[in-house]
Amino acid sequence: MTMLSYLLLSGITTGALYALVALGLVVVNKATGVINFAQGELFMVAGFIAWSIHVQFGFDFGISCAGAVLVGFVLGCAIDRVAFRPLLRADVVSIVLATVGISFMLKGIGRIIWGGKGDYLSFPPITSTDPIMLGDIVIVPQQIAVLAGALAIMIAFALFFRFTRIGKMMQATADNAKAATLVGIRIERIYTLAFGTGAAVAAAAAVLSAPLTLLYPDMGFSFFIKGFAAAVVGGLTSLPGAVVGGLAIGIVEALAGGYIHSSMMEVSAFIAIMLVLLIRPTGLLSFYKARRV
Amino acid sequence: MPRTTRLSCAVAILACVAAALGGSAPAAAQGQPGITADTIKIGTFGALTGPGYLYGKLAMNGIDVVFDEVNKAGGVNGRKLQLIREDDRCDPATAITTVQKLIHQENVFALIGGGCSNATFAARETIEQAKIPFVVVASVHDGITQPPAANIFSMALTSSIESQAQLEFALQQGAKKIAVVSMRDSWGRARYTPLMEALKTKGITLVADEEMSPDANDATAQVLRLKQSGADAVIMVLFPKPAAVFARDAQKLGFKPILIGQTGIGDPAAFEDQVGVPGATAKFTTISMVKYTPTDPAVDKWRTLIETKFPGDRLSTFNLFGIGAAQVLVEALKRAGPDLTREKLIAQLADLKNLSVDVYPGPITCSPTDHRCNKYPAWIAKEPGGPIKVLSITHVQ
Repeated sequence: MTMLSYLLLSGITTGALYALVALGLVVVNKATGVINFAQGELFMVAGFIAWSIHVQFGFDFGISCAGAVLVGFVLGCAIDRVAFRPLLRADVVSIVLATVGISFMLKGIGRIIWGGKGDYLSFPPITSTDPIMLGDIVIVPQQIAVLAGALAIMIAFALFFRFTRIGKMMQATADNAKAATLVGIRIERIYTLAFGTGAAVAAAAAVLSAPLTLLYPDMGFSFFIKGFAAAVVGGLTSLPGAVVGGLAIGIVEALAGGYIHSSMMEVSAFIAIMLVLLIRPTGLLSFYKARRV
Repeated sequence: MPRTTRLSCAVAILACVAAALGGSAPAAAQGQPGITADTIKIGTFGALTGPGYLYGKLAMNGIDVVFDEVNKAGGVNGRKLQLIREDDRCDPATAITTVQKLIHQENVFALIGGGCSNATFAARETIEQAKIPFVVVASVHDGITQPPAANIFSMALTSSIESQAQLEFALQQGAKKIAVVSMRDSWGRARYTPLMEALKTKGITLVADEEMSPDANDATAQVLRLKQSGADAVIMVLFPKPAAVFARDAQKLGFKPILIGQTGIGDPAAFEDQVGVPGATAKFTTISMVKYTPTDPAVDKWRTLIETKFPGDRLSTFNLFGIGAAQVLVEALKRAGPDLTREKLIAQLADLKNLSVDVYPGPITCSPTDHRCNKYPAWIAKEPGGPIKVLSITHVQ
């Protein structure tokens, strides 16, 4: 029973990391219909920005967090201007390739700026390093911080899309860009905002998870793959789906690793994705909309 | 003047001009790539950027200061050493083009370098075909030196030597239940396979054999399985990132075996920082290719040279890798004599016996059939909050 509890907790924590990356992907996809393949590299760059502000320049953690989120937002907007807007009328493959190109560029920049400072940089934990006992279970406080962060971001975005004017405009643009234009929504601004917001989410995720993951310039791709998988499982446009997808993948990995063999950890997540897509091609929490005729 | 006399005069003048241009350089060396009357061009490759820069750029800095010292003392048999650096970015395809550039474009006489194993292994064929002498600094892949290529000599501990040493160390520590946690990419397999062979040779059965991916962010499943097996020693065939995650989760779950690392986790101070949980590295011991830690007074001379030439840098173990390999290359170049040819340098490298240099734990010995010239891993550890200490040296047969 203790083993199951530990594995579940481990799966939830790792899953929360995936969910954080998936949330950024979903925010962009929800508004633009595009998967930003540079999301993992945005996560990496934002993590290093926070590290530089906090560790190199000695500023407070809060300032480093705000700085990383701000830089992430600006970078996201820049990606929209450089890689998305000029290709608005191009086919989706061109747009996807542009984001792939941006991801390579960001990785190169990461290697040049932070590649020569240590093989894996550690980020000081934002919580105490002393484990907390919960009955027989030991929990590292940083893991709770990651989980809480994922939930907070998810709730914030759910409220944003439901109750704010801009959120509703983003939803409308995602549903039907032409109709949104007809009712006066300036969809280019919405796209910029979506890319910026998605990157800001990646930045917040990076700051929260950096103490658990360590920082290195090549870290982006593995996070992107797991985040993308989580977003696919959740349905690509559903924010709760991204969180559920991330947690599901994390838990499947942990249980397979603990009860079958550790060699199954990587494979099991992708087997789970294939099964989900076979049974529900639109993802766990994405539903076809019924249209009245 | 008769025609034969004029011809003789012309030949004599040409000979004088040739002698003047050649200076004191022996005629045999003139036809060799990368050699002039007063210089020997040596190429080096490795990662200058990215996580592998420790084994590339920092090792190159070590080579650089050795060459500076040699040049200050007059060079090797009258020729100054010139180092040409290239970045292979730890990427196998880039390593091949980098080596081709050094050999055919830069026309270097010999190569010294190689940080990331996979990249150096990929470049082996190109180097072997070019018949250019190559001294390996830090790449550990067995395939680089086995089967031996006539012109490639490794001053790095190879992966099979390290794997044997890890097992020896576990047994020396009195471990009764040995487990392994490993990465199974090409880097990991290059160590895992010889480790399994060493275990088989000794008739030892592992109590657990777990895997981790290089990007793992959690090791709860692995730790729980190893804990259930009752392992008292865990051989880690991991990069620093998964190793740090493993050590952190082991501490969290109260699993405290002896943790046995290898040169992939060659800096216990950085590792303690990466793990970030107090006490988690208390039973961690790892292999070093060199017998000194960067703070040891025995390497004061090299610390001064590195920190003077590269302001902002602090002497690191990785600098020492380059220093050791460069000293070996310089000695072989000296022994090859003033009529320097690639063949002579290769012959001298193959004939090195019990050569002591400043930093390696044991003497360097190469032979025509075994080009794994360094077989003395040093065991290092760091008590939490304390300095890094060299615990012992193993001679792997």
